[in-house]
Amino acid sequence: MKQHPLCTDPDHGPTILDLPIPNGMKMEWAALETRRHFLGKMGKVFGWAALASLLGDKALTGDAHAANATLASPESLRLPQFAPKAKRAIYLFMSGGPPQMDLLDYKPNLAQFYDKDIPDSVRGNQQLTGMTAGQARFPIAPSHWAFKQFGKSGAWVSDLLPYTAKMVDDLTIIRSTNTEAINHEPAIMLMNTGNMNPGKPCLGSWLSYGLGSINDNLPTFMVLLSKTNPKENNQPVSSRLWSSGFLSSEYAGVGLRSAGDPVLYLSDPKGMDRDVRRKMLDAVNEINHQTYQELGDPETNSRISQYEMAYRMQASVPDLTNMSDEPQSTWDLYGPDAKEPGTFAYNCLMARRMAERDVRFIQVYKRGWDVHSDVTGVLPILCQETDRACYALVTDLKQRGLLEDTLVIWSGEFGRTVYSQGGLSKDNYGRDHHPRCFTSWMAGGGVRPGITYGETDEFSYNVVRDPVPVRNFNATLLHCMGIDHNKLTYKFQGLDQKLTGTTPAEVVTGLLAS
Amino acid sequence: MGFTEVAPKNRLIKPVWIASLLAVAALLLLPSLVPLDGKTHADWQQFLGRFHPLAVHLPIGMLLLVPLLEIGGRVRPALREASILVLWLCAFSCLGTLALGYLLAYGSGATGAGVTRHMWGGISLTIAVLLCALVRPLWASGKLPYAYPALLGCVMLLMAWAAHQGGSLTHGNYYLTEYLPAPLKRLPGLRMLQAKVPLVPNSFYAQHIHPIWDANCLSCHGESKVKGGLRLDAYNLLMEGGRDGPVIVPGKPEKSLLFTRITLPPSDKKFMPAEGKPPLKPEEIAWIKAWILQGASPTAPSLAGVSVPQPYKEVALPQVGDYSKLLGQISQLEASQGISLLPLSKKLGDGLVLNTINVADKFDDARLAQLQRFAPYIVEVDLGRTAVTDACFDTLKTFTHLRALRLEGTSVTGQGLAKLAPLSQLSYLNLSGTKVTQAAIAPLASMHNLRHLYLYNTPAQPVSAARAQEPSARSSP
Repeated sequence: MKQHPLCTDPDHGPTILDLPIPNGMKMEWAALETRRHFLGKMGKVFGWAALASLLGDKALTGDAHAANATLASPESLRLPQFAPKAKRAIYLFMSGGPPQMDLLDYKPNLAQFYDKDIPDSVRGNQQLTGMTAGQARFPIAPSHWAFKQFGKSGAWVSDLLPYTAKMVDDLTIIRSTNTEAINHEPAIMLMNTGNMNPGKPCLGSWLSYGLGSINDNLPTFMVLLSKTNPKENNQPVSSRLWSSGFLSSEYAGVGLRSAGDPVLYLSDPKGMDRDVRRKMLDAVNEINHQTYQELGDPETNSRISQYEMAYRMQASVPDLTNMSDEPQSTWDLYGPDAKEPGTFAYNCLMARRMAERDVRFIQVYKRGWDVHSDVTGVLPILCQETDRACYALVTDLKQRGLLEDTLVIWSGEFGRTVYSQGGLSKDNYGRDHHPRCFTSWMAGGGVRPGITYGETDEFSYNVVRDPVPVRNFNATLLHCMGIDHNKLTYKFQGLDQKLTGTTPAEVVTGLLAS
Repeated sequence: MGFTEVAPKNRLIKPVWIASLLAVAALLLLPSLVPLDGKTHADWQQFLGRFHPLAVHLPIGMLLLVPLLEIGGRVRPALREASILVLWLCAFSCLGTLALGYLLAYGSGATGAGVTRHMWGGISLTIAVLLCALVRPLWASGKLPYAYPALLGCVMLLMAWAAHQGGSLTHGNYYLTEYLPAPLKRLPGLRMLQAKVPLVPNSFYAQHIHPIWDANCLSCHGESKVKGGLRLDAYNLLMEGGRDGPVIVPGKPEKSLLFTRITLPPSDKKFMPAEGKPPLKPEEIAWIKAWILQGASPTAPSLAGVSVPQPYKEVALPQVGDYSKLLGQISQLEASQGISLLPLSKKLGDGLVLNTINVADKFDDARLAQLQRFAPYIVEVDLGRTAVTDACFDTLKTFTHLRALRLEGTSVTGQGLAKLAPLSQLSYLNLSGTKVTQAAIAPLASMHNLRHLYLYNTPAQPVSAARAQEPSARSSP
């Protein structure tokens, strides 16, 4: 054992195993060290050899060159469990909780219940948020907007979403998504990580970990934040939502900024050319390698790979974000908003450019859907900001032949109440958080187009048919990417952790394309 | 020694008869005075009641002694003197055991045909024993020569029957006959554990109803554990029912015990599946109801008014040959070219996927040609934005298992596309952003599997700037 760097006594330096730390940690360290020696020497060859050994001895003896091939990333052994329908996914996250009964969950009978209290039999003994629990009444607020049927599928869409209405035959609309959390932070954590408490890896990190990268020059998992609109009620969106949790930080999402440079300090300062930068990185890597040899912390390796990724991004990101190569037809499709960096429309276009470059998982956040009050004032703005861009993204992917193996997901973290929060008038109302049902949609690789799945009661309050709890929603997403959610696990804190958690989850086969 | 028996003193006779007849009347009225209502009652009742299976062996043992004493008395008359005492002890212990048994049934809310049979068995046995004890003095004194032996014979038979009913309650209906030697099993009239009759394939029962039992019920009502004497692991066993009789009444779900038990409120003690297991799904309950309503048939292939969504089936991909011997060569080529040639999935037969994105600008026709030796195993090829030209079709035509080909953003003009014609599995071809013309793609028309052809932004399908972007709602009724 090499001398510990913090120890001044050259002969009797304590090793990790001598430190007063829990035994479990020591064992974990010892295991990592073994793995480090093993992987360090063998790299990808080991991966292929392991694969070959799965095939039987014949494969191993059949080709002697296997053991001499050059090193490459061990990630390449990360194969889907079965042939994937989607190679990449774009997740349009509507943070705040869009009101389902004003957008896609048409409830024709609500009008006759205007200003009547929601029946107790519907509300049950549900605990409400502190924002409406004290209300003396729970008067029903029918949607302010009319609905019409569109497309061959005849899906009902609100007048607020004229562009979404045009693509309903490409969408898989889920009216029965439901969650257990009633407040933003736990709900958005649950959607993204399968757990209400922070600390678990999010969907994108699980995918990076499970499938690895296709394009080495861009991160596997990228996050795009849309600019906020001060007229809207914007809930915070934190980097916890694209954290890799207990997985290596290599798998964390890389966020692009919504204003200014998409990535800070991306361009080299004046006087530093690419060669100097390379030499500097080589030197830093050398030091990092030494640290790793001494301490064996796998996060050191993550740092090395992230420095390398940043170096490659210096070349790849300008190409990604330079939209001057887009033809006029693109701007006609996405609308004028797309010209302005940081808007949701711009981010949708950026997401398409990332998908073209085989970024595995792209998440676009749009905040502001938390319409506790002034629904008729704010909701049209939100829809105007997002409706056309969603349509443009799906259409653009489709015309370029990318929708077949790209899964597009549109969802919030929960829905909103049918009863009004605060005052109800003919012209305006507010809506509180509602976890029992909300509407999401998917499109593209792996899902069945042109269907509406699940059903809520006539108050859009409870799911009455085909509920899709968050864990099943996520299991289905993984399925489309070729992953059995029960097999994508990582041992941590004594448990084989997985995205879908410990409550048994099921793939919602009714959503899948046959 | 002469046969002498002390006749009971006359003054005692009347009160004994009166008391006994009152007891008989009370026993007969008991089930209507304190009916077994199927509800659970006080815990102490069950506590005491659970001694019934223990106490019951006392009267059984003593009753068996009585005929032995009577027969033995022929040789040693002293034995006969004991029999009246034993008979009265039997009568009292019968009463006590009966009380315990009734407490058990009443306290635990037990009902059903088996319980009722056992109850009447116990009551009639007790009455018969009392009568025996009353009649014996008359027989001893010669007034009624045949009544006592006849009654005693009845007691023996009644006891055997009632005890068997009780045993069936605790051990199940087939406890005795399950391991009966095979020839005896064929005796007519013997209720025998029937062999499992195999399901009728493609029947609604086999496809949709039986799987419900399989997933939710068999852990308690199956071959290894038979709670309530009910087994659900075969149609014939299901229809036979359990300790409480049949559980399915064809045409009458509300009278089918199984259906009523699965539709109780989940908090009910009798709710099934028991022990906090998840309730059946609403659609499963609806199927069961419809199935019973329409006759609970084991063969009907479908039910009127019930549509079951077609189960999702993963479509198996065509398999490529075994390339496991080439894995070393593949990884060498990957390393030297900077490409990735990875299995589509962990199932190697699904084939290899070629990705060139990391070396797109350097990847040309010559490099593609180097892949030819792996040609039959490659199912997807991504050459988007690479330096390949129309010459690539000469190599690609050998990729016999190719399913998807991306050439978007390359300089191909489509000349030579016809060479792809033999690729019968090719279903996806992306030529977006290339120079292909309508004339160049004409040969593709003969490729019947090519269902997804993308020509966005090509001379064959130019991007029109005048696209109508304003949406128009198409209302439908």
